[in-house]
Amino acid sequence: MDIFFQQLVNGLTIGSIFALVALGYTMVYGIMKLINFAHGDLVAMASFVGLTVYDQFLGKTTNSILAVIIIFAVTGTIIAMAGIVLERVAYRPLRKAPRLSAVVSALGASLVIQNGIMLIWGPRMRFFPADILPAITWNIGGVYISFIQVVILVISLLIMVGLIFFIDKTRVGAAIRATSIDHDASRLMGIDVNGIITLIFVIGTFLGAVGGLFIGLYYRGINFNMGWNYGLYAFVAAIIGGIGNIPGAMVGGMLLGIFKAFIAGYVSSTWADAFTFTLLIAILVVKPTGIMGERVAEKV
Amino acid sequence: MMKFNSKTIGYVIFIIAMLLFPALADSKWLAIGSTFLIFSVVGLSEDIILGKGGMFNMGHALFFGIGAYTAAIANKSFGIPILYSIPLAIIIPALCGIVLAGPIIHLRGDYLLVATIGFNIVFLQLVENNIFGITGGPNGIFGLDTPSFLGMDLASPTAIYYLGVGVLILTFFIMANLDRSKAGRALHYLRLDELAANSIGINTRGYKLFAFGLGAGIAGLAGVLLAIQYSAVSPEAFNFMQSVLFFSIVLVGGSSLPGILMGTFVMFVLPEIFRDFATWRYFIFGFAMIFAMILRPEGIFPARFGKIPEYFKRG
Repeated sequence: MDIFFQQLVNGLTIGSIFALVALGYTMVYGIMKLINFAHGDLVAMASFVGLTVYDQFLGKTTNSILAVIIIFAVTGTIIAMAGIVLERVAYRPLRKAPRLSAVVSALGASLVIQNGIMLIWGPRMRFFPADILPAITWNIGGVYISFIQVVILVISLLIMVGLIFFIDKTRVGAAIRATSIDHDASRLMGIDVNGIITLIFVIGTFLGAVGGLFIGLYYRGINFNMGWNYGLYAFVAAIIGGIGNIPGAMVGGMLLGIFKAFIAGYVSSTWADAFTFTLLIAILVVKPTGIMGERVAEKV
Repeated sequence: MMKFNSKTIGYVIFIIAMLLFPALADSKWLAIGSTFLIFSVVGLSEDIILGKGGMFNMGHALFFGIGAYTAAIANKSFGIPILYSIPLAIIIPALCGIVLAGPIIHLRGDYLLVATIGFNIVFLQLVENNIFGITGGPNGIFGLDTPSFLGMDLASPTAIYYLGVGVLILTFFIMANLDRSKAGRALHYLRLDELAANSIGINTRGYKLFAFGLGAGIAGLAGVLLAIQYSAVSPEAFNFMQSVLFFSIVLVGGSSLPGILMGTFVMFVLPEIFRDFATWRYFIFGFAMIFAMILRPEGIFPARFGKIPEYFKRG
């Protein structure tokens, strides 16, 4: 039974990271009907920027909690700005173009960011220092829970609750929901559609940046091309939950994390991808709109 | 009957140039030429599914890989001479294309794209985990037999190159006929408007699967050539990144023959010529993809089909 609860804890941790990254996918898809393939690479970039911020400015601070807060703030800001640039350069000129043009542009942006990371930071794996956060581990009835896992779970949960509140209860949230339904009608109602899209990119990439830093803090090893992997997993999470659906992305991320942890625990981690993507295809075949997605009427 | 217009003349000049190339090239350039031929064939076969069929297939390296692995396994585990494994390496990927696409073919654009990515990743993991002990794991299969046919030794780089030219001409031929055939027209109309195509009695599902099967079979044939050229197969040649490249080449090229050949040249041949350029190629190509799409959203050489008015072509 211990292995069950241990993998559940590990799965929830990695699931929260997937969920944070998946939110960026799902929000962009909800507004623009575009798979933002560059999102995962921004997540990877966040890990590298975070590591550099730590090395350059905070390496000698003793107050590690303050240091971590500064890393998150600085990295989040930089990555959110990168998200704005990405939207302006790669997506805005293509808003009226055929769908596939935007997909190719997104793939191009992904290649640029991924290889930009490689050219700046080098192709080798880099490591986060182990002592950024206190290395405490609790043993609760044979299940090990580390401090970093608690941090990831709690902060992710707070962010998600805050985001749902923001989308559901505020005026800006209502504007976002309206824009996702119909750009032109929203514009007629006086909503600044370009502003909303920029805001979506800021929120999405900021959450992705938090996810990227969690990846660095939790796994420590980071790689220039890891963005594809996390991006794909987050995208799978978004589809499982019903793409465009914000609570769906969170549930999808958590379920995917737990599923992946159980495969790693009970089968083998070398088979995790095969099982995950088989599950994805099975879900797509049975219910293409995801477990929490609404039925989308075919537009003729 | 072929009409003599500038396009036909262009093809003839291209084919003659490809045929004469070995007379001018040393062995290094010959290998580069073979690479160009093989990847062009794969790019064109992706065009059958993505460009002509309009199905977002982002797992095309999968069929390329199945072909290469079929030939390698047939040769290594069952002792079939590599050239005799060609029919198998066409039929098996084609069947895989039809069987895999069958359950997912009804999915709308982006979902189909993700499902095909999924297939590619599952395939790669099966191969890397050395399933049934015949795929050689992460190292792949090496030391394949050199090709020979009816006692003729075809192991020289020139022979392999001409094999590639033959396959490319065959692919040209298939694609030119597809454009004029009933199936090609059906694919064209179902890409424009699937619902309308269905309602006038076009078997959309059947033609979509046909396109998948045909594209996969041709990609499989190219896979055999790759296995012959390196007398080895290894998983990383068929990963998801390769699928992304084929996908992008078709769309950036505009789903047209010159566009795809140019894209293949830029992505697979230039890096071999300029070794120092190799680390920068994806960075530069990424920007090129973005700007190509902004400046020409329908591709660099948009495909022209028959005499259909422009306003019908909006995807």
